[in-house]
Amino acid sequence: MAKISPKNIGEAIYRATEGKSGNDLSVALKRSAQILRDKRMLGKSREVLSALQDIVDKNTGTVRMKVTTAKVMPIGERKKLEGEIKQKYKAQKVVSEFFEKAELLGGVRVEVGDEVLDNTYRNKLRQLEQFLIQGK
Amino acid sequence: MSNYIVENLRKEIEAFKADVKTEKVGLVMEVFDGIAKVSGLSDIKSSEMVTFPNGETGVVLNLEEDAVGVIILGDFSKIKEGDEVKATGKILEIPVSDNILGRVVNAIAMPVDGKGTIKASKTYPIEKVAPGVVTRLSVDQPVATGIKAIDAIIPVGRGQRELIIGDRQTGKTALAIDAILNQKGQNMICVYVSIGQKDSKLRKLGARLEAGGAMDYTVIVSAGASEAAAMSYIAPYSGVAVAEYFMDQGKDVLIIYDDLSKHAVAYREISLLLRRPPGREAYPGDVFYLHSRLLERACRRNTKYGGGSITAFPIIETQAGDISAYIPTNVISITDGQIFLETDLFYKGIRPAVNVGSSVSRVGSSAQIKAMKKVAGTLKLDLAQYRELEAFAQFGSDLDESTKKQLERGKRSVEVLKQLQYAPVKTEHQVVTFYALTKGFMDDVPVNKIKEFEQGLIEYTERHAKVFYKEVLESKMWTEKGEEQLKKTIVDFKASFQK
Repeated sequence: MAKISPKNIGEAIYRATEGKSGNDLSVALKRSAQILRDKRMLGKSREVLSALQDIVDKNTGTVRMKVTTAKVMPIGERKKLEGEIKQKYKAQKVVSEFFEKAELLGGVRVEVGDEVLDNTYRNKLRQLEQFLIQGK
Repeated sequence: MSNYIVENLRKEIEAFKADVKTEKVGLVMEVFDGIAKVSGLSDIKSSEMVTFPNGETGVVLNLEEDAVGVIILGDFSKIKEGDEVKATGKILEIPVSDNILGRVVNAIAMPVDGKGTIKASKTYPIEKVAPGVVTRLSVDQPVATGIKAIDAIIPVGRGQRELIIGDRQTGKTALAIDAILNQKGQNMICVYVSIGQKDSKLRKLGARLEAGGAMDYTVIVSAGASEAAAMSYIAPYSGVAVAEYFMDQGKDVLIIYDDLSKHAVAYREISLLLRRPPGREAYPGDVFYLHSRLLERACRRNTKYGGGSITAFPIIETQAGDISAYIPTNVISITDGQIFLETDLFYKGIRPAVNVGSSVSRVGSSAQIKAMKKVAGTLKLDLAQYRELEAFAQFGSDLDESTKKQLERGKRSVEVLKQLQYAPVKTEHQVVTFYALTKGFMDDVPVNKIKEFEQGLIEYTERHAKVFYKEVLESKMWTEKGEEQLKKTIVDFKASFQK
């Protein structure tokens, strides 16, 4: 029999809990936890939750965005960026997280899934460094 | 002076344009023995290049459900869990140019000979589909290896794949090096791919090629024994990419893979680390395809598609003469023939230790010049008969005259086929030697004097049989006039030699 992956468990939990609420939902979740314990996969619970999150996001048209800047991004710009991402990924909903890292010096780094747009000064300086080393 | 430096830097910085684009990025989950498991990187292709934060390159080999297996080409000690890995969108490629000739490069075509960078304007992918049937020509142009036993009995043609197989220390590399040395002035580019060899051996070999003036037309691609298995795995593909660069210019290329046994071992190591299921001798299931797709890239292309050829000499090291092991049988079935070297012959003093009976060239005499075909046509059969009679003669001393004659001729044939290392013999000289042998001029020369006779004969005929040499060199065959002159010269030489 094929190995059970966290993605398989995530998919199963999603189907078992889909459309349920209240007591039904808590029973389904309790059984899911029991299955994880019986299959000795409690150690993989973080991966299972991550897989479950991906499945839920996919089915609800949610896009998760991580934005890192050197200084706090003004609210207006945040909204504008969220709007653009919503349009680009044709998403129903954008869940954003904003972080500040002074070492980026300036600019913005946007991460959506495994796609990254790094427009920070730090990245540009790194590129300049490579350009000068390689003479390209 | 400082103004000049500042000014130059300013110009360079002004010329720089930051490239901002969306990139596919993954995260290193685990790193071990030159392998990295990376999460993310959706839509990545197999054999696609990825870059690590320390500037190292990797190649995607395994595409799994939620991770990709990457082989790291270089130092993996500084790569750690959580590092960002960027997809490049490009299949692994190496820089190529004419400047690579005479250089020693590693598996990703970076120079390792300390002679500075190699300027290259083009890149070639290391994995490529072999040329199709319509682009090919049949093999009918010889590769003069300079080794009498090969050129006469197991002729190799341009575009052929001829396996050199034998135990350790039987002269496999020496044979290949002799073949490279003999390509001087033959309009041939040579690529020597060293896989998992000791650096000291490579150094010695490079010095030998340098001394013989062969580095002018040779490239050495090296993946040393101390390097990661990934480098050994890609080295032959890089070598053939270099060869293809020259073939695309219409040139003939000779490529030597030394050796594919170590290549298979490197691939086995990578496959097991990537948790691919092991098969026979723990090799993965696609080990045949590993070598077949590499050797299929050797070809002779027709002029409509640019001409040029790649002749491949893969080398396989056997264990205790066992040619029925997994990798030897695979490569034997892929190639167009094999040169089988034997330990017993080597220690008997028959060097090169080619076992003429087990060796074969499937392209055969179509890759020989007419003159060679004429003198060496029956040599293989004669030698086979000699070996049979030799065994038979051990049981009885009373042999008839024709048997005795055949035995004597056989002994001289074996002696003629012996050759010193790094001393390739020109084709025209081989023709003269085999002419003298097959026409019976050597029959009354004592066996222990055959080498001396051969040497003297070549020197003498070069001075006195010029017509014969001219005919062989220009029209690849002699006329009656040339033959008469050669016969007379041999008779004259014999008279002076026997005094």
